[in-house]
Amino acid sequence: MQNLTVQSSIDFVEVFSTKAGAIYQSDSENCWYIDFAGKLARFDYRNILKLKKAVYHIDIEDLLLNNTKAPDLEILFICACDHCYVLSLLEIIALKELLQGTFVMLELNHIIYDRLHRIII
Amino acid sequence: MKDIMRVKCLLSSDVETLINQQIKKEAHSSAIYLSMASWCNRNGYDFSSDYFFAQAEEERQHQLKFFKYVLDMGGNAVSPEITNVKGEYNSFREVFEEALEQEISVTQSIKNIAARCHKEQDYVTIEFLNWFFREQREEEYKARRALELFDVIGEEGTGRWQIDKHVGQISYSSEA
Repeated sequence: MQNLTVQSSIDFVEVFSTKAGAIYQSDSENCWYIDFAGKLARFDYRNILKLKKAVYHIDIEDLLLNNTKAPDLEILFICACDHCYVLSLLEIIALKELLQGTFVMLELNHIIYDRLHRIII
Repeated sequence: MKDIMRVKCLLSSDVETLINQQIKKEAHSSAIYLSMASWCNRNGYDFSSDYFFAQAEEERQHQLKFFKYVLDMGGNAVSPEITNVKGEYNSFREVFEEALEQEISVTQSIKNIAARCHKEQDYVTIEFLNWFFREQREEEYKARRALELFDVIGEEGTGRWQIDKHVGQISYSSEA
């Protein structure tokens, strides 16, 4: 079902995907769509950076090693953003991997733009 | 695919992080100078106290300059949390030794940002940093001159009183 939504929109470009999910960029809306944990959520520039910061700040090692009985659940609430994620430890690792890949791809896109397009124009 | 990140922000995330660290460093520096001003005042070194009050204000201005630059470039400037500010010093001389040490470490850390900018060919930030390099030349000169007074005048007798009087007169006027 997720895929159907994605394909119906024409100007989506896949930035990065893993088995767990995918991140698409919409050039016309200047934003990103994150297909993860069963939903497709829209993130603008500020919010995707806030999400990145929130996910990168979770101490995965600490969650793995601590012996408390609390469930390994993290609630990712992004200020001034419509979406919130309630993720298990495995999902956090998967989301982190997805975001890391995405930011590497965005960086690569930036380098290509800088070295090729902007110089030629 | 559009390069949205670049359109929104001129700074790379690495440079933005480094400048935010620098903002914290300048704020810390300002807090340390304020603490030095307090120590000097409590111990009767009025001119040195004024000197450090002025230094604290200057560091605060540096902090704001970095802060506004990050915002102007479309980045996220973070208001820092300042902890670990030393309140007591063993001697009058130690205060000035630490002041110089502080300035050297600030220069070093700005050099570090510039090195990163050169690597990324971020000439915009390098141009911005040049002002700070000129400023650090003055800061280090003043801190070094103040410390040299201890050797030139000596601490014996009314030495410290003399040193205190001269600290307020240190000024840097270079045409270079």
